[in-house]
Amino acid sequence: MTATVPARTPERTSESPVPPRRRDRRPAWVRALDSTTAYQLLGFALFAVAWQLYGTYWGGLLVPTFTETVLAVGDLVVDPEFWSAFAVSNQALVLGFLAAVVLGVPLGLLLGRFPVAERLSNVYLNILLVTPMAAIIPLLVMSVGFGLASRVILVTIFAIVMVVVNVRSGVRQVDPALLQMARSFGASERQTWMRVLIPGALPSIMTGIRLGLGRAVTGMVIVELLMVSVALGGLILNYRSRFDGAHLYATIVLILIEALVLIGAARWLESRLAPWAVNQRKNG
Amino acid sequence: MIEIRGLSKAYRGQDGSQVQALADVDLTVRDNEFLTVLGPSGCGKTTMLKMIAGLIPWDEGSIAIDGVEVDGPGPERAMVFQNFALLPWATVLDNVAFGLEMRGVGKAERHERARELVTTVGLAGFETKRPGELSGGMQQRVGLARALAVQPKVLLMDEPFGAVDEQTRRLLQEELLAIWEHNRVTVVFITHSMEEAVLLGDRVVLMSARPGQISEIVDVPLERPRSSDVGGLERSSEYSEITAHLWERLREMHAEHGRVGGIAS
Ligand SMILES: Nc1ncnc2c1ncn2[C@@H]1O[C@H](COP(=O)(O)OP(=O)(O)OP(=O)(O)O)[C@@H](O)[C@H]1O
Ligand SMILES: [Mg+2]
Repeated sequence: MTATVPARTPERTSESPVPPRRRDRRPAWVRALDSTTAYQLLGFALFAVAWQLYGTYWGGLLVPTFTETVLAVGDLVVDPEFWSAFAVSNQALVLGFLAAVVLGVPLGLLLGRFPVAERLSNVYLNILLVTPMAAIIPLLVMSVGFGLASRVILVTIFAIVMVVVNVRSGVRQVDPALLQMARSFGASERQTWMRVLIPGALPSIMTGIRLGLGRAVTGMVIVELLMVSVALGGLILNYRSRFDGAHLYATIVLILIEALVLIGAARWLESRLAPWAVNQRKNG
Repeated sequence: MIEIRGLSKAYRGQDGSQVQALADVDLTVRDNEFLTVLGPSGCGKTTMLKMIAGLIPWDEGSIAIDGVEVDGPGPERAMVFQNFALLPWATVLDNVAFGLEMRGVGKAERHERARELVTTVGLAGFETKRPGELSGGMQQRVGLARALAVQPKVLLMDEPFGAVDEQTRRLLQEELLAIWEHNRVTVVFITHSMEEAVLLGDRVVLMSARPGQISEIVDVPLERPRSSDVGGLERSSEYSEITAHLWERLREMHAEHGRVGGIAS
């Protein structure tokens, strides 16, 4: 139709858009106390106290107290040896995780869109999902050796399953009505991918990347613990053999902090790239 | 002109059973006609409309638009979906411009056209909102604007106002009439509501279920334009005669089949 149609004024629209969330009128300090952060801090404080008590009275040789651990963390963050170990470990993490994303996202997209590809690959994905990853390590070492390559490969294997499975289900969950709509407007396969499938799957893609990241960190540590005692894994083994519980725990705490920071960053990215999905989650 | 000849379609269930969704349907939709299709739930209305849209294949028969056989979706047709089918991640403007974008219209041009249509359907000021921030009625305005944006010769509407509340539905009906009275394209409009079918249509196609067939086509000789006084129209004797007749027919169908699907009103 043409643009000569008389313009309808917005007043004719009796329905109003979804009303904004009601404003919270409680005083600021009540709101602060009631926030998730407050509860998380409280939970953490309780945990720290319990740990301290346990460490002090029943700890024994290998369980340091909370304060000892915190001090050891302080030691480590100014220790160049720790940071070089950290860098070496993260090399494998970064490369392996990138490989998992670069390979896993397109693979998941294809599997989600084409059922045939899915049927061909399902068995292998399931094998990857259920195999205890530690069992693969000797295989890897035999075929690739002790170098960076096998650490990267293991991190990739750890992470890629999460990426593929989530991306695949994201593509499959794209509303078929939207696909039909796109087709009715003459969308090509390429346009369908760019405008419907990928944006539709984006929240799941991001979830897959976030979960994959968690798994990549696990993979990084496990491979170092079990395969070659290098880097952070090497440090942990080293502290264990010296019965240095505080530093052992501190290393683990720092790895945890890294994982939390990375996952937080992934979450932030997710909310930036797919804000509508975050809203949906909040409202429903 | 849309010519449907001997159109049949059976769906095969997973258990091997067959549902005859459409059986030997003949129907001619005239140029620039507002045709409404009414019938019990499951009588094949959506199936027929999606076939005209070129979205699903059929077993037998033919559909031709201006003498050209339908073989997939085409630029002269545009559809408005019952559940809106809006992209939740795209703004109102991008949703309205979607069809134009698929046709390769440049960004500046398609946004300009989309902006005009957003105004036409009464959503000026909401261009940058996302569908999740709109009420159902507003969402369907977006769906309507998106279909109008590609300037179709045939507008296919599948219970477009089925998912909105009664007052909104009335407003949308009036606005659709006003838009259509200004630019008479061919409309095939499916509805569950007898009142809606009569208010909007030049003719009402009454379908029956199991198998899906056309049982009667009723002329609606109500005067146009109708958009200005829909309420008055409803109080006219012609209107009551036609709805009474339709109701009679639907009741007969109910007697034959033991149920009247989901006829709302
Ligand atoms: N994809 C499908 N697979 C199997 N059967 C189907 C499918 N789509 C529709 N049917 C069946 O075909 C018949 C006609 O369906 P259709 O959706 O066209 O009916 P309708 O008239 O639009 O109903 P409603 O008013 O409820 O929307 C129904 O019996 C339905 O169960
Ligand atoms: Mg239907």
